[in-house]
Amino acid sequence: MSDDNIVDSFIRVARIIANLDAILAEAKNLSLTAKNARVVALRAGDSASGFKPITNFIDEFSEQTIKTTTHISTLSNQLFKIALEAVRSTQFDMHVDNAATLTSTSQVVALQHRAKQERQYQTKKLEIALQDLESFFEEINKQMRSAEYIAVTSRVEASNAGEFSDSLQSVSDFIATAAKTIKQSVTVNLNEIHTLRGALH
Amino acid sequence: MKATQLYQAPSHAWLMFGRDEGKPEKIIDTNQYLVKGTGQAVLLDPGGTELFSPMLAAILQHIKLEELTTLFASHQDPDIISSLGLWDKALPDATLHAPWLWEGFIRHFGMNNIKYQGIKDEGGDIRLNDISLKLIPAHYLHSSGNFHVYDPLAKILMSGDVGAALEKTNAPIFVDDFAAHVKHMEYFHRRWMPSNRAKANWIARVRELDIDIMAPQHGRLFKGEAVAEFLEWFAKLDVGIAS
Repeated sequence: MSDDNIVDSFIRVARIIANLDAILAEAKNLSLTAKNARVVALRAGDSASGFKPITNFIDEFSEQTIKTTTHISTLSNQLFKIALEAVRSTQFDMHVDNAATLTSTSQVVALQHRAKQERQYQTKKLEIALQDLESFFEEINKQMRSAEYIAVTSRVEASNAGEFSDSLQSVSDFIATAAKTIKQSVTVNLNEIHTLRGALH
Repeated sequence: MKATQLYQAPSHAWLMFGRDEGKPEKIIDTNQYLVKGTGQAVLLDPGGTELFSPMLAAILQHIKLEELTTLFASHQDPDIISSLGLWDKALPDATLHAPWLWEGFIRHFGMNNIKYQGIKDEGGDIRLNDISLKLIPAHYLHSSGNFHVYDPLAKILMSGDVGAALEKTNAPIFVDDFAAHVKHMEYFHRRWMPSNRAKANWIARVRELDIDIMAPQHGRLFKGEAVAEFLEWFAKLDVGIAS
């Protein structure tokens, strides 16, 4: 990793974390929507009986999304620390290489060896952390595919809810939009991770 | 990196590193000092990050890396100690002596292995195997928590920013004409030293020491009569003035 790549990597980690905040906010909105939809479905009574189990689904997956996102948030904060260590060991390695051009004592050679080992170790650690993060993002993507399915089903049920049809329809629309937004953020983050991992080699 | 031997005795030696020709143009030139005792050495004000490679190469010409057990930072500035994060990786078992006041700040440079030994306001000492170096309080000259290092055997005072001059990297090592040298020091001392009271306190303290060489962190060193000339000049200088 060169000096430019190091700075680039830090910016990418920061972008991932900023994107996470957007995902978390959307997941919280989904949770709120599920609660509102339950109230509307209760008011609608028998005409919206098919909608009630759907609100439970929305609630469950929004909770699940919040949980996954919060976990990713913890991982991302750790990622900053790991990235910092990788940066420092890379810089140390480069400085020792530079010193070796000025003197060729056996101590510098030994230090070069140590610096390269440390750099490899820290890079590997960063790579593993990125892999973990990637698999969690893929998990969120799966959850969002379910959300899109729920949005389609709930549209059908909403159309049978008489005067409550419009309210429930807007719930369905919101779920579809939220799932799309979250999926877009996840895609951006997966791309960032992909590029970051590429820069490590 | 140029190395100059300032003192040599069976017990220990003083080396000054500086006048680095490879130094990037817009950073300030600095003097680093290595006190090499028997099996142990201390590096005084190790310098900035960009100096790490030439310093490492220069030091390995004189000692083994394991012998560098101690680092000293007179205060918190980047030209003094921003190389800490790199020394931290090079030295698996070393101690940094620095003002207690700056610990939370200095750690920002990166410190996982090196131990921080905070120096109390009243000073103390750094002990190597056969020698002891005195830590002389120099607070507010120019940092609020600041120390200089005095070696009673070598009669050398490492005076940090006191006596510093802003000069080019090809400047001679010692002051040969004090009157001519004043122009390189005056603005620096007026601007970077904030308190006449602190200055008078430091001068009184330093006048009690027997000094052959006064060795600042920037510019030329003062030897023999030039030390007394400096103290006289500094006593009369009004400091803490920004315009």
